[in-house]
Amino acid sequence: MPQKRINIQDLERNSYKAMLTLESYVTNSQLPALLPQLIKIRASQINGCAFCIDIYTEEALSLGETERRIFATSAWKESPLFSEEERAVLQLTEEITSISKNGVSDKTYEKVLKFYGERVLAQIVMQIVMINSWNRIAVATHQGFGPLA
Amino acid sequence: MTKRINVYSLEPAAYKALRGVEDYTRSSQLPVLLRELIKIRASQINGCAYCIDMHTQEAIKLGETPRRIFALSAWKESPLFSDEERAVLQLTEEVTFISSHGVSDATYNGVLKFYNENELAQILMQIVVINSWNRIAVSTNQIFEPQK
Repeated sequence: MPQKRINIQDLERNSYKAMLTLESYVTNSQLPALLPQLIKIRASQINGCAFCIDIYTEEALSLGETERRIFATSAWKESPLFSEEERAVLQLTEEITSISKNGVSDKTYEKVLKFYGERVLAQIVMQIVMINSWNRIAVATHQGFGPLA
Repeated sequence: MTKRINVYSLEPAAYKALRGVEDYTRSSQLPVLLRELIKIRASQINGCAYCIDMHTQEAIKLGETPRRIFALSAWKESPLFSDEERAVLQLTEEVTFISSHGVSDATYNGVLKFYNENELAQILMQIVVINSWNRIAVSTNQIFEPQK
């Protein structure tokens, strides 16, 4: 069993308060239903955040997402279960999450812009940035490790 | 580089909220130059030219030497960084490349050897917030004035 690590929420309350303010901005944005969950699940898969995957798959199911689509998320490129809009957002999610590789291509950027417009694109970028932050905190601190509740 | 959206003018609330996280890191007890090392190294890895430009200038202003900044991308082989700094730079790389291997016990414990748990939490948040700024800047082609 991996060792227990620090709990940032307890140690640095102000950091959490600031992060939750950012989270509530993202939650209050105008993104279509279930799109935030796809973003959060895919980024958490890439970043290897088991804790986050567990939370956000449960959240997605409770909001009406299907198990079948969630199972397909890690192979969305080859799956017929996602719309063109969702595919554009998933591509952007992957490029921003793996930003050090090639940045974000014009093609990917333009596609999301075409479907959603500037304002929602900005919100999508922030959703991707936000989940990348939670993923980094959770993975680095072994958040949620331990026997199942 | 084609012009892209400005997230901060389109979504001022996003900027304000992220700025809140940044302000938290500024209020932390970490040595200022350590914070700059984290910011510059993460920006190098994430390929954020805008951020590198901003934070190298900031570092110089705060008293960092050009020589150490030049060495930063090769810090592992450089004698210019202390053991404390090396521990933090290793953590910076592993958190920035979180998808590769997560954060190893050796790296995590390496930082705890030099810093207490609160400081470790602060260091981690500094790495997380620069990764956020990097992602926004790179994905939106954020630019700076080259003639400056």
